[in-house]
Amino acid sequence: MHEMTLSELSRLDAAASEADEVFQMDEDAFRLFYERTARPVWAYLARMTGDARQADDLLQEAYYRLLRAKATYDTDAHRRNYLFRIATNLVHDIRRRPRVDAVPMSDELDHADPRQTDAAAHAARRVDLSRAMALLKPRERELLWLAYAQGSSHQEIAATLRLKTSSIKALLFRARQRLAAVLRERES
Amino acid sequence: MSRQGLGPIACPREQEIVDLVASGHWSDGDGLRAHAADCAACAETLELARLLQADHKALCEKAPVPSAGAVWWRATIRARAEAARTAGQPITLLQGIAAATALGLFVALAGAWWRSIAPGGVWFERAGDLVSRSAAVPAALSLSLLVVLAACLILAPLAVYLATADFES
Repeated sequence: MHEMTLSELSRLDAAASEADEVFQMDEDAFRLFYERTARPVWAYLARMTGDARQADDLLQEAYYRLLRAKATYDTDAHRRNYLFRIATNLVHDIRRRPRVDAVPMSDELDHADPRQTDAAAHAARRVDLSRAMALLKPRERELLWLAYAQGSSHQEIAATLRLKTSSIKALLFRARQRLAAVLRERES
Repeated sequence: MSRQGLGPIACPREQEIVDLVASGHWSDGDGLRAHAADCAACAETLELARLLQADHKALCEKAPVPSAGAVWWRATIRARAEAARTAGQPITLLQGIAAATALGLFVALAGAWWRSIAPGGVWFERAGDLVSRSAAVPAALSLSLLVVLAACLILAPLAVYLATADFES
């Protein structure tokens, strides 16, 4: 393995201090924020793209863009909303490109033991949900996930998706109906 | 608008149901549970909210997220690389200008030298006319000009070296 020289170490230290200056939060604050948000962001990215590998890549990119952003936040909740907005934009960008080597979520993440009836039923329900979500429009997926999976308020959803708060209720209602209809079709 | 086949209409208590399911206290909400049993819209909302939150919870538990330190470190390295690339852009431009200047001076001096050792030739006679017209320029001024040009030729690569050298390493 390559051993670092003193000059390389001092360069890395310099890089770390430079980053502190360039980034909009220091390392300790970032660690705290990351621990609270990384898993929900990954889950969001995974469900929106339907691809675990893309979610891995986009997670890193989302935090990098957040760190480099010039925006200021009143609260941690604002920062969190901004992070989800970045994640949403990344998913939109990805959607414009052709998909390569997608790793389906259900294949990779559901390892329920089929001998356990409850677990198997739960896994089957999640696969149904995953496939039903994939049939929805991107905006509908985002709305449903933010509202029902994450329990975000209408104001938070509006801030994340850059929509009017007043329109969220109607959009959410339609999205909910679509998902319910798709799930019913799959069951029948 | 006809609502046939569109499912239940919206209910003002849907958000309460979502909030209660999200908080994990659904079993405590007796009033809402009774309402959801009678309201088709809330029953549908409840079912989907539970399904999506169970999925969210399962995904979060299995999410293969890297450590905060690793993400910070990669971001640091990338920020530095981008900063270096941005800082390098004007230097590259200056290098190009310096190289073009040096080449121009070299061609000019080579031409002058060639004229001094090989007078003659059609194209050179024409150039000679031009030079003879500028012969009115005092010899001292021509010499000064030549010295400045030569100095530029020598100093340009030196300036480029000083601008681009990495003195930290």
